[in-house]
Parts: sequence; C-alpha cells; structure tokens
Amino acid sequence: MPEVQAGTRVRPLDELDLGAITRIDERITGQYRPETWEDRVGYYLRRDPDASKVVEVDGKVVGFMMGDVRDGEFGLEEPSGWIERFGIDPDHRGRDLGKVLFDAITAHFASQGVRTLRTLVNMNDKGVAGFLGAMGFKSSSLQALEMPIPSNPSAKA
Amino acid sequence: MKVETITLEKKYHDAVEHWRRHNLQDYDLLLKNWEKYFPKDEPFCLCAKMECGTPDTVAVGDHAGEKKRLKPDELTEEEATHLLAIIRAQASTEFGSIQQHAGTIERAQDEEDKYWVLRVMAEELRHGYQMFHLLLSQDWSKVSGGMKGEDMVEDILSMQTGSHVLDAFNLEYDSFIDNVCFAALVDRVGKYQLTMQRVCAYRPMADSMPPMLREEAFHLAAGVIPMRRWAKRAARGDVFITMEAIQKSVNKWFPRALEMFGDERGGSKNLSFGFKDMKNREAQDQYIDEVARMIRDINMRFLRARFPDDAVEKCEKVLDDLVTSRGKHQGVRFEDLIHLPDRRFFRRKGEPAWQMIGVDGVSYENIEDWLRYLSKHLPEPYMASRDMKMYAETLRKVVSGEYTVEDGIRKMPKLKRVGGNCPCSRSVRWVVEDTATTNGH
Repeated sequence: MPEVQAGTRVRPLDELDLGAITRIDERITGQYRPETWEDRVGYYLRRDPDASKVVEVDGKVVGFMMGDVRDGEFGLEEPSGWIERFGIDPDHRGRDLGKVLFDAITAHFASQGVRTLRTLVNMNDKGVAGFLGAMGFKSSSLQALEMPIPSNPSAKA
Repeated sequence: MKVETITLEKKYHDAVEHWRRHNLQDYDLLLKNWEKYFPKDEPFCLCAKMECGTPDTVAVGDHAGEKKRLKPDELTEEEATHLLAIIRAQASTEFGSIQQHAGTIERAQDEEDKYWVLRVMAEELRHGYQMFHLLLSQDWSKVSGGMKGEDMVEDILSMQTGSHVLDAFNLEYDSFIDNVCFAALVDRVGKYQLTMQRVCAYRPMADSMPPMLREEAFHLAAGVIPMRRWAKRAARGDVFITMEAIQKSVNKWFPRALEMFGDERGGSKNLSFGFKDMKNREAQDQYIDEVARMIRDINMRFLRARFPDDAVEKCEKVLDDLVTSRGKHQGVRFEDLIHLPDRRFFRRKGEPAWQMIGVDGVSYENIEDWLRYLSKHLPEPYMASRDMKMYAETLRKVVSGEYTVEDGIRKMPKLKRVGGNCPCSRSVRWVVEDTATTNGH
C-alpha cells in the first residue's frame, strides 16, 4: 500500500497556486491553459476559499482538488459537496496524494453539514473514474444527459 | 463551520449605509449585476459575521491556556488600550480603502475587473461594519479616553484619504493599475494581520477573523489574476498597461505595505498580550517571500505568453538566467520583467526609515540624485502629489539634521483635510438619532 510521502502538506488553495496548477494540468493534458485556471481559481476563491485544496511535497505544489457546496440545482435542494477539478503531477502519482486531497476536501464539506458528495465523470477516462470509484463514488440515479441542438430547432415543434 | 450574522443598532447601520451612499456610489450597480458577475454566489450581506465554535482558550502569550476574554473589562487596561487601537486602525483601513478605490474604479478597461473591485469594496465595507460591531457591542469607555462608541464610529466615518490611521490608506490611486496592485500587495498584508489575529485573546475579535479571511482570499485574487492577464497582454505588445507601469505601481505600494507590519523591531506586546501569534519582522519576512512568489508567477506568465512555443522548464530557466545575468533573451530584457524592490526602498517608517536606498539596494548620498532616481521608478502622477512634496521636504530636514529620524517618521503623512462631516447638506453627523433627516437622501 503506497504511503503518503514525508514532507507532505495539504492546505487551502490560494491565488498564488495558479502557476503550479496550470503546470500540473499541462503535464497531464499537454495543453497550456492559464486563462481556464484563472477563471476557475477566481470562481472557487470567491465562493469558498477553504474548500479547494492543494497538496505540497517538500514545499512544491504537486496536486490540487477543487470543489464547492451547491444546492438547488436539478431538484437537489439538500446541499451537496461537488468535486469538480483535480489533478496530481504525474511524477507524484501512486503515493496516495489524491486520497489525501479527497479526505481534506471531504472533511471540509462535512464541517459545513454536507452529507453527500457529487461529481461528474467521463467513464471513458479510466484513470479518473477508477480513482473516484476507489474513493467510494458509485453511480447515481441522477444521470447526465446530453444532446446536440438540432440545426433547425423550430422544425421539431 | 457556522456563522452568526448580526446587524448593528439601526442608527449605526443607517450611518454606514449613509456613508456608503457617498463613498461607494456604484453599490446598487454591483447588487444589480451580482448574478451576472458572481452567478450563484451567496448574496452580499452588510452585517457582522461571527464564526461559531472557535477555540475558547488563549493560544499564545502571557495568558496562554487561560479562557479567552469576552469583554474589555476582562483585559488589563494596557491590553484593552492596545486592542482598541488595533480595532480602530483596522476599521479605518476598511473605510479608507473604499475611498481610495472609488477614485479610479471607473477607469477599469475591463468590466469584469471593475466588478471584481466593486465586490472588494463592498466586502471592505462589511469589514468596517464588523469592526464597528466590536466597538459598539461592549463598553470601551475605560480605555477610550472617555470616547463613547458612537463618537468612535463618527470619528472613523469622518476620516478621508489623508487622515486615516495607516499611511497606505492615505495615498490616492493614480490609475486603475493602483486598484489592482493595491489588492495584490496591501490586501495581502491585511491577510497577514487577520491571520495573526485569529488567535486573539479577546474572543469577539478572534471570531470576527475567519469570515473576513474568507472574503480577503478573493481580494488577493482580484489583484493577482488581473496582473497576470496584464502581463500576458504586455508580452504580446499591448500598449495600454505595460510591465513598466505595473512595476512603478509595485514600487509605490510595496514600501507602504511593509510599513503596515509596524517597526521591524516591534510586535512583542501583541505576542505577550495574546493578540497575535507573530512579531513584526517574522510576519514581514513571510510576506516578502510571498510577494516574491507572486512576482515570479507574473513574470512566468509574461514569458510563456512571449515564447508560446517554449516549454515551461525552458521559460523557468530563461527567467532564472535573466534575473542572475540581468541580460537579455531573444528581445526580452531583465528590465522588462517585474522585480521586488529592496525592502529598504523608499521607506519612511520602521528600521530603514529615511534611508535613500534604491530598488536594487544601492545607496544614494545626494538628495537631488535620489529624487531624480525616484522620478524614474515611481508613477509620474504620484511624483506630482502632495505626498511626494512632503516626503522630499521632510527628507531634506532629516538629512540636514534639522529633524531626527524619529521626527521624520512622525511627520509622515500629514495630509489632513479640513472638515470630515457628511458632505450632504441635511446632516452634520454620520450617526443621527432621527432618521427623518435622512429620508429621501
């Protein structure tokens, strides 16, 4: 069983983590997307700056997990802790850092009285789906649906 | 995490709303557009927020392990006097920053940046309201020199840019660049103060800190994220906001921000009283390290925008090489980046007060050479300000020996304006018993 590395520290995300988060995402996806992360970090910091977390190893940010508490969407009146974006630097995988982040964000949601965690996952992404399954997520009766908008929407009526 | 919300007695709540109508005139516009710029965020609440469930024993200092104090009477006279000064200074900074932001907010080039700053202003208003709750919910008369709570509120609401407690809140903004750099640099000091005060032995103050800190987190982002975007645009040749303009704003605010920590040699009383958990120099050191990280992040944003085909590791090496060599790389000079000024640069309080030391640590002997140097490193509109004129006059007296360094420290800044009462003709005070005089205003 992998052990958490010595020198590991989890703390709330802050605005100075943008560079590290962008870099981790770039290593995972191959895309440099600073604007995307500026939008997301700004969003999470203004909603609940204590929720989203980063994990440091020897002072360097190597992982992040972003989420917040939401209610009132799609008939879900009870507040839920949504986990939306996360990533671990490929050089630091297999060391339970994802679980460390997950435990920290879950504890924060629990402190706010939340009883249910939710997320959306592309089941074709075996890595992410596998991680979430390992954390305890199961399929929900609530299902994500999608469809393209017809080229002539009024024709359907 | 549970938070209790409290509304001030009507006459004080109305006084803050009245002040807000004069000083935060886009408040209604902010609320009208709240859902557009901050969708699904909790609506803004002008109220005091007290965190529930915080530790009830003193964490640091001479009273460590004892129960936290709930009333000023439970503090010693010296402790209560000291804490009252902290609360009043904190209140002054909150209202003062709103007045500063208001002067240039309309010059924002991007609507989103403007609304982010408007939200910052509204939350600073709430922070000032929070401090009023601390001043009004208990009797401080034994240590306030006979000043009642109502008078302390009146005093603070009457302050204008120039008469606030801390120097950083007495300088007007020269452009919207200042709105953003102030949030990145000076609000960051606020974060340090609020974090240190989380342990406060006076429990109502400690309980006030977590909600303020959560809001402050966004204020820092409202500074850093626009600075990153500006760096990207500057790298691509944008002429409107240049790295040079950002640097000059950093040079203007960084020294004032450092001085907000107090003299580098001080802070022992706060620690022994249990009001804060760090002395001034330690807190200032950590702040400087954090600002250095921020500047490196902004420079990396610049370089990655300038060299989009280069990997992050290469850009990091370029940055390190430029900082070390002060040379050039494919058209980017060391001077094109943002740099952290020397901590002794342009200081007029604290350990390095009145020394003529440049951003790079080089000392100057000749005052005129020094002032010419400053004119190249500070924003041009700021050079034309009364503050700079007074600085130069005071510096000449310190250098000539007419003033001691301590005299010079006491002289800055004295920009007090005459008359701080409500500018509308219907009232001579902010706090009024009879709200009929404010109806329809």
